[in-house]
Amino acid sequence: MNLTVVKNATCTFCGCVCDDIELHANSERIVEAKAACILGKSWFLNHTAERAYPSALIDGREAELDDAIAVAAEYLDKAHLPLVYGLSNVTCEAQREAVSLAERLGGVVDSHTSL
Amino acid sequence: MRNRADLVIYWGGNPAECHPRHFTKYALMPKGKHLPRGRKDRTMVLVDIRETKSVKAADIFLQIRPGRDFEVLTILRAIVKGQYVNPAMVAETGLTIEQLRDLVDRMKRARFGVMFFGMGLSMTRGKHMNSSAILTLAAELNAYTKFVAMPMRGHGNVTGADVIMRWTTGYPFGISFDRGYPRFNPGEFSTVDLLVRGDTDAALILGADPGATMPQPAIDHLARIPTIVLDPKVTHTSRLARVHITTAVTGISAPGTGYRMDEVPLPLRPALKSPYPTDEEVVRRIHELVRVKPDWLVHQPRTTQQVF
Amino acid sequence: MLRITGGRVYDPANGVDGQIRDVCIADGRIAAAVGDGARTLDASGMVIFPGGVDVHTHVAGGAINFARAMTPEDHRRTVAFIRTQTQRSGLGGMAPTTFATGYLYAGMGWTTLNEAAVPILSAKHTHEELRDVPIVDKSCCVLMANNEIVLDLLENGELERAKQVVAWQIWASKAYGVKAVNPGGVAAWKWGKDAKQLSETVEGYRKLTPGTIITGLAQIIDELGLPHPLHLHCNNLGAPGNYTTTLESMKSLEGHRAHLAHLQYHAYGGDDWNTMRSETEAIADYFNAHSNLTADAGAVLFGNTVTITADGPWQHLLYKLTGRKWGNLDVENETGCGIVPYTYRPSNIVNAVQWASGLELLLMIKDPWRVSLSTDHPNGACFWRYPEILQLLMSADFRRDCMAKMSEEAKRRIRLPELDREYSLFEIAIITSAGPARALGLSNKGHLGIGADADIAVYNQDQDISRMFSHPRYVIKHGEIVIEEGEIRATPLGRSYVIKPQYESTIEEYLRPLFEDCYTMQFENYPVELERVEHAELRNCIPAE
Repeated sequence: MNLTVVKNATCTFCGCVCDDIELHANSERIVEAKAACILGKSWFLNHTAERAYPSALIDGREAELDDAIAVAAEYLDKAHLPLVYGLSNVTCEAQREAVSLAERLGGVVDSHTSL
Repeated sequence: MRNRADLVIYWGGNPAECHPRHFTKYALMPKGKHLPRGRKDRTMVLVDIRETKSVKAADIFLQIRPGRDFEVLTILRAIVKGQYVNPAMVAETGLTIEQLRDLVDRMKRARFGVMFFGMGLSMTRGKHMNSSAILTLAAELNAYTKFVAMPMRGHGNVTGADVIMRWTTGYPFGISFDRGYPRFNPGEFSTVDLLVRGDTDAALILGADPGATMPQPAIDHLARIPTIVLDPKVTHTSRLARVHITTAVTGISAPGTGYRMDEVPLPLRPALKSPYPTDEEVVRRIHELVRVKPDWLVHQPRTTQQVF
Repeated sequence: MLRITGGRVYDPANGVDGQIRDVCIADGRIAAAVGDGARTLDASGMVIFPGGVDVHTHVAGGAINFARAMTPEDHRRTVAFIRTQTQRSGLGGMAPTTFATGYLYAGMGWTTLNEAAVPILSAKHTHEELRDVPIVDKSCCVLMANNEIVLDLLENGELERAKQVVAWQIWASKAYGVKAVNPGGVAAWKWGKDAKQLSETVEGYRKLTPGTIITGLAQIIDELGLPHPLHLHCNNLGAPGNYTTTLESMKSLEGHRAHLAHLQYHAYGGDDWNTMRSETEAIADYFNAHSNLTADAGAVLFGNTVTITADGPWQHLLYKLTGRKWGNLDVENETGCGIVPYTYRPSNIVNAVQWASGLELLLMIKDPWRVSLSTDHPNGACFWRYPEILQLLMSADFRRDCMAKMSEEAKRRIRLPELDREYSLFEIAIITSAGPARALGLSNKGHLGIGADADIAVYNQDQDISRMFSHPRYVIKHGEIVIEEGEIRATPLGRSYVIKPQYESTIEEYLRPLFEDCYTMQFENYPVELERVEHAELRNCIPAE
């Protein structure tokens, strides 16, 4: 089978954020993570492109993505002081969106750092 | 640092297990331009309350009593300045005055010293006072030689969150927009306090699993209010949430940018194609739906803009 | 389409000195005429300036972002911008947030800025922040004078290869120009040392001196034909007696173009802090006679600010002097960067000399085209206090009132009491817009000729100069009214000017191993992708023959 090779890939598992990893992947999973440390290897190799989880859950029941997004927007909009929290294991692009959303909502935005 | 640091001190961190390549790639092993023999040209000191796997890598291991970091740092500052040190206070730290004097000696003799501090320092008794003490010690050592101190940040892109919040709001975390502009007050707007007091009435959680790590009263409140979780997995928090949305994995199937703990941004190059949307996309779509609802902040009507 | 009628127009680049005439705008540019259907703004009793251009400021990147984190107490007491449906929120103050930076610049009629210090590894971060600075157009200068690869090449006399590396670096960081900070000194600071004299060998090198670095970089930049010359922060910043270093630096630049940043900080006499005095006359005399140079003032105003520079040694000195909080940020191999909150006081003789020196340079440099208004924001004062400096420049009486608060001893150390020159509005338009635009080589900026960008500030004519320039009646950016009577009307995203100098692609093969040896980052992961620079606009180089 053909493997996709991604050179100079970046590992976000720990704060080192090593960017010299070479990933070999088939369509389902990463089969090799050259230069990664033991934590990085398990990080890369343990994720797959499979649909292992439902797209969304509403009140514990499987739901469509669009519906979940609509319900989420409704809850957040109705709240007086919504909280946007976390932001560690996401991209900067997602973080920017999250700050912008918190601002629109008039809520609080916070990260792991406050713990 | 890679090219220059000849004294490397890890304080309250366990890089061998938590940041495995910190030694090899950045701080300890590399042969730097000015340190041609790599590891042999450096001295590594480890300060911690227990023996971890990092001890093996250290030239000197200083085991201090739990919760005495601030005292040790303050005594070191006193020794650096040649001030009197109370032996009774030294005794409480778990170290001898000889060990402390030797460390100060090495610090002053170093051409370029660096102290990395982990959560064993910044998240234990004293917290930000400890961080402040180690930064002050480093600042004061610059009267003798070149010295820097920097935190070893834990998870992935927490540095990115810090950096972005600073430029967009002026503050690094715990920011309230409830008056339409950013306000910062740790203790008032920090998550655990908000949750424990029950001040917040909805939560959007992404890139974290507080259901697994926060104090129980905080978790109880998350279960009480509408909580929305974005995560590649169904997490502890997802189970108590009203809404869970599965998202692509950062850096594996979601592209973008991540910041290294020294605030250097790096591109994330995904190797897999996810069947799920990215966090970025989901947050943007939620925002688009919110944006068309009536704005809680009421404004004067504005004339429509026109480009002349 | 828009027509502004009845205003007094100050357009120095086109020789217009306060004549009343119409300014027409079509498609974001100045037009010869517009049709009858155009909206008309009545600017009777007002003055019309080309939008302000800041040639030297620090508004984005790791350093100012660190300063934001260090000054939460200031954020609390400062001006807050509340978000609207079209406008992000922000905070002003000593280190404003990115959004507020755009609002505050536009809010006083400035429409273009140059971020003057981008460490190599922070280029991506800086562009991310600049993307969140709305309204104004932007450019930035990448720091090269302490880059180890370039220094090694200059040490070995390999100028041609150094030129290739510089060209590659400019494009990789999507910069517009090259800044040299304390050449050799920041490299030495990595060892806790400094480089104070131009002919002293830099710590860690055999024969390289700050002088050879300056000359080498200036030559490279001229040969590449960058629109903006070498942007130089001279050695020995802020130290008593440093004017000799500055004179030496200027002499080493003969035959080359150069822009001297925050000249005020480099114009001191005396042997120590107790004897420090202004030596602006010596600097201005040399400068006046050498038209290859431009400068910005780096003026100081009394009050609070936070000082940040890539000049680590100076910052450490400040920390020792003041005992206030100090943050030092070393980006691997790049540049050190120090951050110290600071209050300039008229009662402090050193501060008084600094305050006077900035104004003296602006008054003693005869050709306003070659000296731009700047405070080296946030170091000398925050950029939003520029109108106060304009008032000082336009009124000798006001200057005398301010000096009345100073000690006699301070007055003996400065030249300001003897200077009677008062700027005209025409000259103000030069030092705030036409001059810096020309220094930056931005031919579409700083004037109101046909085809120029329609970036315009319209002020109410007012005896109170500070009030006049703080509160423009209208600010127009690229043909759009962005500020109207103190209200933000629109927050469009400005453009980013980027240069692509010529270099041979083989330089990458040469650089790759050095880069990866020098930095803990993969070579391929370094360059800033053009698509990540929002509204990037490529500008041309005119390489030397």
